[in-house]
Amino acid sequence: MNPYTQKAESVDEWLELLRSKRELMDNVTFWHTEPAKPARTAELPVTVHPKLAGALGSKGITQLYTHQAASFREVSAGRHVVTVTPTASGKTLCYNLPVVQRLLEDDSARALYLFPTKALAQDQVAELQELANLMEADIKTHTYDGDTPPTVRQAIRNAGHIVVTNPDMLHSAILPHHTKWVKLFENIKYIVIDELHAYRGVFGSHVANVIRRLKRICRFYGSDPQFLCASATIRNPREHAERLIGETVSLVDDNGAPTGEKHMVFYNPPVVNKQLGIRRSSVLESQKLAALLLKSGIQTIVFARSRVRVEILLTYLQETVKHELGSKTIRGYRGGYLPKLRREIERGLRSGEIRGVVSTNALELGIDIGQLQACVLNGYPGTIASTWQQSGRAGRRQTSSVTFLVASSNPLDQYLIQNPDYFLGRPPEEARIHPDNLLILLDHLKCAAYELPFEEGDTFGGEKLTDLLEFLAEEKVLHKVGTRWYWMEQAFPAHNISLRSAAQENFVIIDQTEGHRVIGEVDRFSAPTLIHEEAIYLHEGVQYQVEKLDYPEKKAYVREVNVDYFTDASMAVELKVLHVDLEATTGALHRQFGEVTVMAKPTIFKKIRLRTHENIGSGPIHLPEEILHTSGYWFSFSEEESAKRSANDMQMALLGLANVLIHLAPLHLMCDPLDIRVVPQVKATHTKQPTIYFYDRYPGGIGLSQRLYEKHGELLEEAERLIRGCGCLSGCPACVGPIEEVGLLGKELAMSLLQGMKA
Amino acid sequence: MSGLRDRLNRLRGTPEPAAPRSEPPAPTQTERPALPAGFGAIGVGLEENEAGPFLLRRIAYPLPYHHGKHELGELLARAGSLLPIAERQNGSSGPIDPYRLLFLDTETTGLGVGAGNVPFMVGFGYYAASAFIVEQALIRHPGEERAMLTYLLDRMKDKTHIVSYNGRTFDWPVLANRFILNGWRKSGQSPGHLDFLHPSRALWRKTLPSCRLGTVEEARLGVRREDDVPGSLAPTLYFQFLSDGHPEHLHGVYAHNEKDILTLASLAVHFGRLLDGEGDEEAILESEELFRTAAWLEQHGLTEVAERLFERLAEREEAGEAGWSLPLAARYKKAGRFERALPLWRKFAETAEGAAAPAVEAHIELAMHYEHRDKQLLTALTYAERALELAVRRGILARDKVKRDAERAALQHRIARLRDKVSRERK
Repeated sequence: MNPYTQKAESVDEWLELLRSKRELMDNVTFWHTEPAKPARTAELPVTVHPKLAGALGSKGITQLYTHQAASFREVSAGRHVVTVTPTASGKTLCYNLPVVQRLLEDDSARALYLFPTKALAQDQVAELQELANLMEADIKTHTYDGDTPPTVRQAIRNAGHIVVTNPDMLHSAILPHHTKWVKLFENIKYIVIDELHAYRGVFGSHVANVIRRLKRICRFYGSDPQFLCASATIRNPREHAERLIGETVSLVDDNGAPTGEKHMVFYNPPVVNKQLGIRRSSVLESQKLAALLLKSGIQTIVFARSRVRVEILLTYLQETVKHELGSKTIRGYRGGYLPKLRREIERGLRSGEIRGVVSTNALELGIDIGQLQACVLNGYPGTIASTWQQSGRAGRRQTSSVTFLVASSNPLDQYLIQNPDYFLGRPPEEARIHPDNLLILLDHLKCAAYELPFEEGDTFGGEKLTDLLEFLAEEKVLHKVGTRWYWMEQAFPAHNISLRSAAQENFVIIDQTEGHRVIGEVDRFSAPTLIHEEAIYLHEGVQYQVEKLDYPEKKAYVREVNVDYFTDASMAVELKVLHVDLEATTGALHRQFGEVTVMAKPTIFKKIRLRTHENIGSGPIHLPEEILHTSGYWFSFSEEESAKRSANDMQMALLGLANVLIHLAPLHLMCDPLDIRVVPQVKATHTKQPTIYFYDRYPGGIGLSQRLYEKHGELLEEAERLIRGCGCLSGCPACVGPIEEVGLLGKELAMSLLQGMKA
Repeated sequence: MSGLRDRLNRLRGTPEPAAPRSEPPAPTQTERPALPAGFGAIGVGLEENEAGPFLLRRIAYPLPYHHGKHELGELLARAGSLLPIAERQNGSSGPIDPYRLLFLDTETTGLGVGAGNVPFMVGFGYYAASAFIVEQALIRHPGEERAMLTYLLDRMKDKTHIVSYNGRTFDWPVLANRFILNGWRKSGQSPGHLDFLHPSRALWRKTLPSCRLGTVEEARLGVRREDDVPGSLAPTLYFQFLSDGHPEHLHGVYAHNEKDILTLASLAVHFGRLLDGEGDEEAILESEELFRTAAWLEQHGLTEVAERLFERLAEREEAGEAGWSLPLAARYKKAGRFERALPLWRKFAETAEGAAAPAVEAHIELAMHYEHRDKQLLTALTYAERALELAVRRGILARDKVKRDAERAALQHRIARLRDKVSRERK
């Protein structure tokens, strides 16, 4: 450590310093060191085109990592491939190598690249153009997205060798106008899908259908392209790729890239009230660690779970280090920042000008921000896969890096931090999609029919196609003649279908402190709780109060304020069962799976003081009710079981159990914690019994509840283990919830309920 | 099936229908016997080629027939004059032979040029020995499309240009989609275009409430339609026909499409006359339109006619005030005819002085003129200073701050230079 500047020479030196600090080390519950790994390489295959080999050579690449070589071999053998490797392992070469090779051999060949975001697409084009320049080859690579000027679009359609786009653009602009892309579709040899793991849940289910449409159009033009996919580490890459593209896929997962030593440190904030099980705020502890890293000159990324958390952490950090670093060197990054600002921050991180960044999982994807030295996770990111991926943002090939997981007091975080083996021993989660969700399927069936008529005997996904087509014909969307169904409607179906839930319905946030300035956006689902009137909205660390929310026009008018609190909104949820598809009884417990209607309405918001987090006031929220038809899973307790306790005790027991389950469920599902919701009811309308409901937060459901229905037993066992293992006396935020919520006997009641149902 | 329906309805939250729906009678595709009487009533008959059957209506108009104020037959003598339009729209063009023009207008099931927009009726017109023929091909269902397209291709064989209204960006691309979807690929040369939307916009954008064909024909060609079915209703009417098979739904669509084709021919005569220098310019009342007509003629190489119209404009009462004054002055400036340009600028500048949001272009032109050509530096300086004052006055209302600031900076620079020159001259 340099005594004058207080800067650390390296992460190793900084870690030494950390080890000497008792007050911090007391909170470290687990320290795992992943040793450095040397590179494993293979010779450049002799079949590689001399121009390509030359260009790689001039970039210093004379050998391939083993996974790059394996992927080249599989592609050359004509197989669909999915490559799974961590961040910064040279995975783009896994697909660029075979694609460029093919284009050098055959000028008429074409390739289509799909990235989940525009920013990733732009990074990729820059890389391919550099390669083409080095080879002095005429390989035209272009992005084709909403930002592509109309004047060059035609040239790209006719002459682009590699077209780089995103699924949304493919869905709404390319496929419905495929007749303008005859050159591409007749000659398409490869379809590259990077960041495959990002296509899960609702978005993934939509994308799987877009790919079904894409393949259908390729078949029409007589082409049969190979799919080259790349994914971050998930448990089921091959299965996920196969479900997404509907083909048999070979898996390449033998990562040969070198890595420096990696430290994974679990940090549990100290208990400040043993009886209530209350720990110090994870936000404050994350801020402390990040500040310590930043002041020592270590480039650091901090991940937080929500946008609000990002902004709060950013404010604290900028405040803490402003004397050492200046607040412009610590930036926030999240959805809702405008693209220009994001590009500026990415550049600053690569150049090293920006020393620290606080981000939501928006930076989890492969956006090029270079490799940082340290990573602080404020709260468990929700999945093992995300944790590794976020932690992968820190880590260079040669030098050491460190990741801190700072646990919050929620049950899942506490479970993990106390069971590190669970984290290290367990493979990362599965990515799941449900492309045959009836509504999603039907939407894409319309788009597909618009693109090409359907013929009897055609297939499209798992449902019986004829029934669906007949249905659409009766709805007068299709018209059947002989053995064919034709699109017969005025509408352009792709325009009304968004691949990302409610993505097209963003609320814009207008700052009217001085004139009118759009400062950000919020998606429709988050709007009722984030930008209701009187809410404090944080943007780039600045506080704004929402003065007016124009709900129909999707605009929030805000004004800059300076207050010492933030706001937190609650929702009231009502639930109705429409149809039961599956049911089973085990012991005192009856469980069902089926369709439900959920009516949700924001009710009140609380004002919570910064730093102390005490409740200092509240107010009502006046917004319309949202209605959702989706799939759900619920279990209820028998008469005898409920007769054993008073209604009030039952209420507390259910609430406690629900609190535990909602935190455990996303663990099993690898879904965003917001995708699955839970509602406990003492006397449910449907069952007349004490019941706990789970439902998918997407119209029609995306298979999450169904999966929980299947894993029911496992889920309850884990809940029991968690409650039993918690060190608190009678309930705390880390298990059944704080005693203010579940009462003094909450823990005991939940436990007895769990045991009762086994009887 | 009912299970699926129930699921779909539940997901949508729509009530389940009380009684099963009656199946609509689907038009059968193999029936060969007589067409419903509703088709015969308006002269629609069955046509068949190697790709199958479709319906065709054919009407011959005698050449002296007047559609509005123009006679259809007049185009035979004037078609050649449309060459400048063809050259402008296609880059280059062979001579225009009236017998090799195909007047085209489609009725489609939707908007836009996506792959799912189906032209269910293709109407076209062409000149034959002694008549103008309108033919309207209709498909009774999408299965007949191939036969209709085959017929259209055959009709296009000896044609050099497609005459249309917005056909270059709509009708033709939609048809091109259909060719590709039916497995045909482009071979040989694409047809040239005479798309009259572009000249119509050039002439009438500012003086007619819209440049829709219906507006243009009524206001400038003297065409009046009775009980016209608007084109926007065509898809709905076709869908009704698809669901119940009654040809009567389509009668209005047939009539509308037929009139559109006739209007295309009439419009061709109109533009032909203008390009022959025989347009009825006296009838053009508004100066704005006169200016646009002159500019359009000039663009198409008819400088003499254009010149005559410009001269007339410059002498008009409101010259120097209206929006076209500056472009007209710019034209004279370019030609070196400052005796024409100066009065226009002066008048414009005078008007600007009194305006709430004044335009300063004329002041700047005058400042430039007096500085560089007339060498009256003091006059130039006065105009430049006035321009800056006006620019500041207008600046309060300006939206584009960057542009506003650039304009001011340029003016300040000009004033500084002029002051410098004036003081040096004094020494």
